[in-house]
Amino acid sequence: MDKQADDFFKTGAMKADLIKDFQELARQSWETFAAQMQKQFGVLGADDFSKSSSTKTSSANVTLDHAMAGLKSYADWMQGAAASASAPQGDWRQQMQQLFGGASQPFAYGSAGADNASAKAFVDQWQAWLQTHQKERASHGQAPGQASASGFGFGHEQQVQQQTLADAVAKHLEASQRYQLLMQRSNAQAMEKMQAKLSTLTEPGQQIESLKVLYDLWVDCAEEAYAEIALSEEFREAYGEMVNTQIRVRQLQQEQTEYLCQQLGIPTRSDVSSLGERLQSLRREMRSRAAVPVNHAEEIAELRRELAALKRQMLASKVPAASAKKAAEKVASKPTKSVVKKSVVTKATSKKSSGSTVKKSATVSASRAKPAVRAIVRKRK
Amino acid sequence: MEQHSPFRMDPTRVMDEITAFQRKLASGMGQLRGARQPEYANTPRELVYSEDKLKVWHFKGDSKPTSKTPLLITYALVNTVWMTDLQADRSMVRNLLEQGEDVYLIDWGYPDAADRWLTLDDYINGYLDRCVDAVRQRHKLDAIDLLGICQGGVFSLCYTALNPGKIRNLITMVTPVDFQTPDNMLSHWARLLDINRFVDTVGNIPAALMNYVYLSLKPVRLNQQKYVGLVDILDSPVELENFLRMERWIFDSPDQAGEAFREFIRKFYQDNGFINGALDIGGRRVDLAAITHPVLNIFAEQDHLVPPDASRAMGQHLGSKDYTQLAFKGGHIGIYVSGRAQREVPPAIHQWLRARD
Repeated sequence: MDKQADDFFKTGAMKADLIKDFQELARQSWETFAAQMQKQFGVLGADDFSKSSSTKTSSANVTLDHAMAGLKSYADWMQGAAASASAPQGDWRQQMQQLFGGASQPFAYGSAGADNASAKAFVDQWQAWLQTHQKERASHGQAPGQASASGFGFGHEQQVQQQTLADAVAKHLEASQRYQLLMQRSNAQAMEKMQAKLSTLTEPGQQIESLKVLYDLWVDCAEEAYAEIALSEEFREAYGEMVNTQIRVRQLQQEQTEYLCQQLGIPTRSDVSSLGERLQSLRREMRSRAAVPVNHAEEIAELRRELAALKRQMLASKVPAASAKKAAEKVASKPTKSVVKKSVVTKATSKKSSGSTVKKSATVSASRAKPAVRAIVRKRK
Repeated sequence: MEQHSPFRMDPTRVMDEITAFQRKLASGMGQLRGARQPEYANTPRELVYSEDKLKVWHFKGDSKPTSKTPLLITYALVNTVWMTDLQADRSMVRNLLEQGEDVYLIDWGYPDAADRWLTLDDYINGYLDRCVDAVRQRHKLDAIDLLGICQGGVFSLCYTALNPGKIRNLITMVTPVDFQTPDNMLSHWARLLDINRFVDTVGNIPAALMNYVYLSLKPVRLNQQKYVGLVDILDSPVELENFLRMERWIFDSPDQAGEAFREFIRKFYQDNGFINGALDIGGRRVDLAAITHPVLNIFAEQDHLVPPDASRAMGQHLGSKDYTQLAFKGGHIGIYVSGRAQREVPPAIHQWLRARD
């Protein structure tokens, strides 16, 4: 603050007016900006930051959505902080409370990252459902949490399901509250850290002169406090419980939906999942069969040798020794075409087909071959 | 003695600050709204292998590779692989090519409902193994170099331990080995998760949920402060484009195959398999002591996703006698895209490989 402004503030009678004027100026400035945005883009206004993507024309609009959501709370904070930070006050700690306490904290959106809109919507939705459910039960003379009076009969199972869901929702709401308390503690600790840091910056030359510097300091404190909480045992338990209870609610909800779909003959998620599992199993099997290394040349040579030996044996038992020897030599040098071809076909099929096809091909080859050749095929199988 | 106030704000200057912010925001928002989706670096590449949704790309440099052994990069399943080739002047892939490496990259693709039952065994002993084989066959080599990034680094450690003969040199970047160091926030949060019920109920894990968790690690910085900083660069087309490209990459992420996610959380985050032993992939025991290859382990000193200690632990558990560790001054993403990374990381990888080629 320059000397002129300092002197100005020292004039006590003018303090209140100045603050009022300053706030008015900030408000006007913001409204002018908002009007300009409204004119320029048609959708943006002071309260419309989050609606910026009513028409998506490019992927940059996704960034625009994220940016505007974050910037709105920053801009709101700046507006309030400008007046508070510039105003002369006796105790700077109180001033800090005004700057960062309650709704004026820039952390409001940031911490929403850990408690985002969809999570809140989930809680709200189930809170409303739970209240309705409890009212219905109360109208039937049942206290919350009390088991169904009718222990049998038509509709009993659905009642039990509803009660189980109600219990799960109640547990989740409880877990969410525990988590929220930790978030609040994180904010409170951030304030303490901020105060500690600011208390070291009171000497001339160290003091905070801009809102941006103040904001960055706050972010450091907020993240530091959050990290400490987020790494605590207490947070681990609260986080795990919050997620687990939420998933339990969703699971029960799915079960009820599946039951209804089954009654109506509509395929369910379980059906799709089951098919997917079987599909993956087949893919795996197909890949493993295709991956078996095959050395065609070596196998064919081996088959030729075995075939030649067999023919030699057959010839030896049926024809005179000289003729048998001659025939065997002929077979060894040039194997029977049809058999070799069938072996090759079988191999080629096994390389690119599923298991069932391979078996079929092998069987066909074997059934057409002579008994001795069939034995070889069986052995190879 | 009364303490002075830490606030010394001149109302006029504060008003100027607000006005300047609003002016920048108003004038820059038009650019942001009309901006086209920035392209990645798109370094020239050819498809050399594909299977299901997976593709293996071979990158083409301006000159022929000087390296004798090809380098296969395996990225994490979370986010897309294009962080390695983000933009021309921030491309690890391009930089490696310029160094003389022959670079291949596995692009895992976007899993959908048909991939819900893919397991770690399918990814590591299936997909990754066939990718390695494809590159080996292409170069008629028994073994190739493997570079694993983040979760891809975990995969490459498992793979090398299970298939030592197919890998010549192993490089890991920002790869966790000890998943339960005290500063590992993700692990801390995942520890008490009922992962079976979670996957049974959710199926494939939506990318939006993954992104939300990552943003929750530093909620104020990543949800707000980053965009406050954006206002300062709205009038710079180049910086704005770079920012938007990074945003594109951050939010353009694949869903996670349910079964693989279940196994990864349980075996690594909850059971800390590398450290506690008893880690198996597809029924085959994985022991880091089986890795006797030369290993270069690069990690980032300011990594909030994979704390440095989580990576440092690797050295104690490998069987390798040729283990090199490189600490990079930067974060989990900066290690690929920062100016410092361009100067330090690819040259370090190349020099290390060259000495062992």
